[in-house]
Amino acid sequence: MAEPDDIAIGIDLGTSYSCVSIIENGQTTVIPNEWGERTHASVVSFLEDGTVLVGNSAKRNIITNADNTVYSAKRLIGRFYFSDEVKKAQAVMPYKIIEGENNSVRIQIRDNVYSLPEISALVLKEMKSIVENYLGHEVEKAVVTVPAYFNDNQRQATKDAGRIAGLDVLRILNEPTAGALAYGFGKDITQKIAVYDLGGGTFDISILEIGKDVFEVLSTAGDTYLGGDDFDDRIMTWLAEGFLKQNGIDLRLNKYCLQMLKEASERAKIDVGRDGSAKIRVEGICQDPSGKVMDLNATLTEAEFNRMVMDLVQRTFKVCDEALQSAKMTTQDLDAVILVGGPTRLPIIRTSVKHYFGKDVMAGIDPDEVVAMGAAIQANSLQDAKSNHYLLDVTPLTLRVGTVGGYTDKIIDKNTPIPIERSKSYTTNRDGQEKVKIRVYQGESSKAAECEMLGEFEFSGFRIGYRGEVRIEVTFEIDTNGIVNVTAADVETGQKTSCTIRLSSGLTEDMIKVAKEKNARATLARGEAAA
Amino acid sequence: MDEAFEIEAQALAQVLDELDYFQVLKIGQNASPPEIKSAYYRASRAYHPDRFSTLPAGELKDNIGRIYKRINEAYVCLRDDTKRTKYLADVLGPERQKKLRFVEASEQELKKEKEQEVGATPQGRKFYMAGLADMAAQRFAGAERNSRWRSPTSRTIPTSRRSGTRQAS
Repeated sequence: MAEPDDIAIGIDLGTSYSCVSIIENGQTTVIPNEWGERTHASVVSFLEDGTVLVGNSAKRNIITNADNTVYSAKRLIGRFYFSDEVKKAQAVMPYKIIEGENNSVRIQIRDNVYSLPEISALVLKEMKSIVENYLGHEVEKAVVTVPAYFNDNQRQATKDAGRIAGLDVLRILNEPTAGALAYGFGKDITQKIAVYDLGGGTFDISILEIGKDVFEVLSTAGDTYLGGDDFDDRIMTWLAEGFLKQNGIDLRLNKYCLQMLKEASERAKIDVGRDGSAKIRVEGICQDPSGKVMDLNATLTEAEFNRMVMDLVQRTFKVCDEALQSAKMTTQDLDAVILVGGPTRLPIIRTSVKHYFGKDVMAGIDPDEVVAMGAAIQANSLQDAKSNHYLLDVTPLTLRVGTVGGYTDKIIDKNTPIPIERSKSYTTNRDGQEKVKIRVYQGESSKAAECEMLGEFEFSGFRIGYRGEVRIEVTFEIDTNGIVNVTAADVETGQKTSCTIRLSSGLTEDMIKVAKEKNARATLARGEAAA
Repeated sequence: MDEAFEIEAQALAQVLDELDYFQVLKIGQNASPPEIKSAYYRASRAYHPDRFSTLPAGELKDNIGRIYKRINEAYVCLRDDTKRTKYLADVLGPERQKKLRFVEASEQELKKEKEQEVGATPQGRKFYMAGLADMAAQRFAGAERNSRWRSPTSRTIPTSRRSGTRQAS
């Protein structure tokens, strides 16, 4: 058991909701805020007077203060400005997404510009203060979870967010792995389990083998563009098309109507999952050309809903096939299936998962809280020298280096256990060359254009010589957080060269320092009154 | 952490670059897959960096990290039958010292190897496939002729017949 002042918290930083947990008297406990809420909308609302609202009260501002309220920041964190995801977000988000230096993404709120880690840091700060309010003293150590399929840029940016929030991030932990930890396997018998993790924005599946004290991730696969939000989108399209047919007005053309439509769709999804049908009613959703205020009325049946989303559900099983194949297994080899993520409450998901895996699913722990609880368990064990469980996690994506002609070369295969390192030798290709530039990618295609570029690494300071004469050994390392580190050394002299690692979308140390001060000054409104 | 472990870890770090993967995992060269896995779990319980997360940064921590990365490297190689067979041949061969760390041929190298094997040009590959078919049908004369044709660099090709391959290359 860790000392009380040495407590480390577990944070599930979700696309739509976040949750925080600690180990208290040997019990894994989800910490509620002052209002008894156990999950908190990952929404940040900047008020006119300078106060910042985070959580469920901020969520209510998505409509009324749309320009100054940021949600789904996790979809944008660690992305390049030119990526599809950013373009997609610009089309649907009411807040202003602008381009920062080095192709990074920034959010403009009034006259202030924020990086994505700064936005997420405000959510993390809220999680931190929920625990501090509860315990009555400060905490600074944390384990923060990310989707297993997050690439290096997204992990780095999440870690930066933690640092900005004044947290010492002990570990960036994969969400499905956290799920498995929370279910407390690993006691005595060896079991093989699948963790089916359908969140708001992403889908992950991991296959784990759990022996005594050891959690080995055999394979992981995922889709970063598949989650509960897509289910909402389907309902939204259905509602909008229906309204268009009936009234000749496309609600999607106005950002405010769209936002109301989105909220109604999310509610409908929850209702239809719980009650078998949903009555949708939004008063005053828009005005017709003559100025008459119009309402939106519809009824969604479960059969209709299931028909709408069946292809999305099927897509998750394609990813499951991939993960099983990579682990050289079939569904029959599995002992258990765990469900993680809010959307796994939907009967259509439960039934389909049960059918696909051919066994009952485990859902004893609230799927919205299970990840935070796993993070707390890991946080506690990292603090406790006597702890005895070890996570043998893998890297979800192949690490590659750009070669001539727009191709890439594999450096570290996906599903390789981490930490791991691999060295590769390069020679200079010009006489008197002073610098070597290496492009690093993550992805499953040999073509560079089909992979995600992590950044360019430029090495200098090695011996200057004729071309092909100077050999530089570049070492690629993936650490226990799944974060990529690159170092270079002159082979002949054995001297480590100075290397400048510049991830194009990342924050520099100086930027983090400034952001940290800004974050410390930010006053998070406490209380309903602030809304 | 006990002193015995510290001594063991430091000693292992010293000789790490002279050990093959079987020695890193402390198993025999004919260990079965379940034996490899349990050796890997045993090694993980001893050297996983999480066990030492509260250890102050320094030589010991670095060495433990280096050892654990090598344990993972060993496991990745030995759990895969194809890689393991090739690795075992490597470390039993004369170049053992150079081949203690398994390096897969890069995709480009593999492509080159394949080309050398089956012919570098589309036309060459066609002859190669025809050669295989001849062989399967036990038409050995045809197989030999087609095999010679598979590569434009084959020196046995009569000069008068080279026009066909030149076009394809």
